Amino acid sequence: MSAPTTNVRAGISARTVVWLQGFAGLAGFAALLEILPRSGLISPLYLPPFSTIVAALFKEIMSAEFWTALGDTLEAWAIGLVISVLAGVVIGIAIGSSNAVRTLTHSTIEFLRPIPSVALIPLAVLLFGSQIQSTLVLVVYASFWPVLIQVLYGVQDVDPVARETARSYGLGNWAQIRYVIWPTTLPYLMTGIRLAAAVALILAITSEVAIDTQGLGKQIADTESGGAVAIMYAYVIVAGIIGVIVNVGARALERRLLAWHPSMRLDNAGARA
Amino acid sequence: MKSGMPSLSRRIAVMLSLPAALIAAWWFASAGSQNFYFPPLRTIMETFGKLWFSPQAIHNIAPSLVRFSIGYIAAAILGIAIGIPVGASRNLRNVLEPVLEFLRAIPPPVLVPVLILFAGLGNEMKALVIVFGCIWPVLLNTVAGVRALDEVLAEVVRSYRIGAIARFWHFILPGASPQIFTGLRQSLSIGIILMVISEMFAARDGIGFALVQYQRSFAIPEMWSAIILLGIIGIALSMIFRAFEAWILGWYHGLRQSQRAN
Amino acid sequence: MPITRRTHLSALAASGAVSLAAPMISRAWAADKLSIAVIPIADCAPIYLGKAKGFFAKQNLDITLSTQGGGAAIIPGVLSGQLQFGFSNVPSLLIAQNKGLKFVGVAPGVASTGVAGHDFCATLVPGDSPIKSAKDLTGKTVAVNNLNNIGEVAVRAGVKAAGGDPKSVKYIEVPFPDMPAALASHRIEAGWMVEPFVTIALSRGDRVVDWPFVAIAPKAMIAVYFASAQYISANPDIVKRFKAGMTESLAYADSHADEVRKIIPTYTRISAEIASKIILPIWPAEFNRASAQAMADDALQNGLINKKADIAALLP
Repeated sequence: MSAPTTNVRAGISARTVVWLQGFAGLAGFAALLEILPRSGLISPLYLPPFSTIVAALFKEIMSAEFWTALGDTLEAWAIGLVISVLAGVVIGIAIGSSNAVRTLTHSTIEFLRPIPSVALIPLAVLLFGSQIQSTLVLVVYASFWPVLIQVLYGVQDVDPVARETARSYGLGNWAQIRYVIWPTTLPYLMTGIRLAAAVALILAITSEVAIDTQGLGKQIADTESGGAVAIMYAYVIVAGIIGVIVNVGARALERRLLAWHPSMRLDNAGARA
Repeated sequence: MKSGMPSLSRRIAVMLSLPAALIAAWWFASAGSQNFYFPPLRTIMETFGKLWFSPQAIHNIAPSLVRFSIGYIAAAILGIAIGIPVGASRNLRNVLEPVLEFLRAIPPPVLVPVLILFAGLGNEMKALVIVFGCIWPVLLNTVAGVRALDEVLAEVVRSYRIGAIARFWHFILPGASPQIFTGLRQSLSIGIILMVISEMFAARDGIGFALVQYQRSFAIPEMWSAIILLGIIGIALSMIFRAFEAWILGWYHGLRQSQRAN
Repeated sequence: MPITRRTHLSALAASGAVSLAAPMISRAWAADKLSIAVIPIADCAPIYLGKAKGFFAKQNLDITLSTQGGGAAIIPGVLSGQLQFGFSNVPSLLIAQNKGLKFVGVAPGVASTGVAGHDFCATLVPGDSPIKSAKDLTGKTVAVNNLNNIGEVAVRAGVKAAGGDPKSVKYIEVPFPDMPAALASHRIEAGWMVEPFVTIALSRGDRVVDWPFVAIAPKAMIAVYFASAQYISANPDIVKRFKAGMTESLAYADSHADEVRKIIPTYTRISAEIASKIILPIWPAEFNRASAQAMADDALQNGLINKKADIAALLP
């Protein structure tokens, strides 16, 4: 909106200024978290001062329990993500390659997609108790759809001329997929993976909170129950940091892998945020 | 490509064929089921009718939907209200972006234990959870949408000295609305999830509450019927949203279509 | 092949034929691993104590203990096979039995002291509440940790015994740890709690209006350790050894209150200070079938179950 300016002061580049501003924002937020409880505006029983939370965080990081919980969450996230990506790619390409199949399955996909994954919690609990499989049910169910939808967009975007050419050269199905469909689908797939990664992490932690499976979510639920409020917030912060790393990491990966790829998407509206 | 659109009845037939086939498959596959966890679909449907079409049902469905609506609409308004100034100012964006990225990365259900501390166990807590979860996609997409507003148009608006309110109503809001709607769409599914999760702890009504109670007392057909109900609600809300979006963004969709055709 | 030899040897040990050699041999082969879920409350101290004292290792059992919020969460775990044994209150097991799930009690879990004023569960109200006795609970809303469960059975028994109308009481589900705070902030009118939450609530100024376990039956048995009927028929020897270890643990806990108080902070978030003040339950040696029957009758009357319970099958 505002006209671009370059903030070039004695040796400070524009980029550094952005970093400094961002850092200032974070510092301001931390200061807020420190002042509010100390001033009594918010009861320190409900929100301990930032310094207390950080102290609790450092203490937790030294404990084995923390790393086990972190590992459990990341394990569920990673396994679930891999499963959904594989399933999304395979099913997406299979459905997308044929107009007839796509039309036929369109309504089913649109029906199943909005079903909240958390509706499956009781079923998962009955079947798997609080083992990792319960978490995986939720993670896979929720993160499968972004991948599938994006792969479908990708396959749909394949240049029909290229496909006809491939077919007339006698390229079999597998070769067509490899040389024509896959390169076009890749950028969409990357978007799908980025969306799925975020969703998978959220569902992994969610199921830990709701089902009591081992992981960061369970730590948060337990510490709330036990009244160890500072530790609870420490874990919340960790959950946030992991989320940021996943989001930023996925975006960076997407950009890196597709730096060479001519941007074929007309609008980024569906892929942003 | 086929010439001309297939008739309406043909399109409906195609739309329903696979779902109908799947449901039929489920019906017959589970017909004689002895499996405790997967009762016959027929039993589930009978239970569904008994449970959710009774006047009693409203005691669970209404509170859920009310809390959801309040939370979602509040999140939408707040998200847009905060998103517009942040999107408009580069400095504000730079300062707030890391904080917002962090807050939005916190899985919303994690906030349920936190909000229990602040807001207790009642309706306020549940609505707050939904607000906290739904605000981020709206906010961040609004920021993105405002940020991407056409530079030329912005200059024109400025040079004509168009007032703030008019600018908001006729330039900013319509310009950013496609992106805002992307955010609203994402918030919709998050909101439904949070509506259910917030009712699984310390609740006394709601669909999520019913779901957990059925599971705990091993009322399996009832549990399945609640799962199906949640699915139906998800689909219904999604359809309502899409109709609303088509109405508001009709001008945009038409524009894009003509762009693509050229 | 070593496995069959180990099972064979364990069988011999159980029959007492090689009782001296057994400890030596059991050290040579791995002990049977068991996953057991309990609730982080005082009631479950015996199993932790027993594990610490080696009563289970003595039985060649390597038990791993985990905690869940309540019996309702543990039962699916046992059903799915994730857990071999679980701790659950009796009404939850009655409900499961009603739905056709076959669970069997393996050892008693915990029982009420049977003494009003000195029991490990109580119904409390905020200090300034107008509610003075269980009779005043008529028509009020009481918080319990799980709906359709022992909390309701207990509160009903207490209200009935005090002359109130048990059917008029309404219930809301609140996890135990959140109850003292909910009472203090008047978000709930009354809360049914077990130790240590009773002591915590008392220290915040709340007041006891009833000791409901006393009303259910004399020395009511509140919970048991259980397993699925399937597991029991497939592993009768493990079950027997677990039962032996459990019996020893229960007896030890019942007679060593100080050690119980010392171990409670290790598996709960209860501080040592609170642990030293709470009222401990009693840990019986035998099943109390009479109290189970009383609970089953209440369950039937109040719609928790819809047909008569089979106590003999549940508590053989």
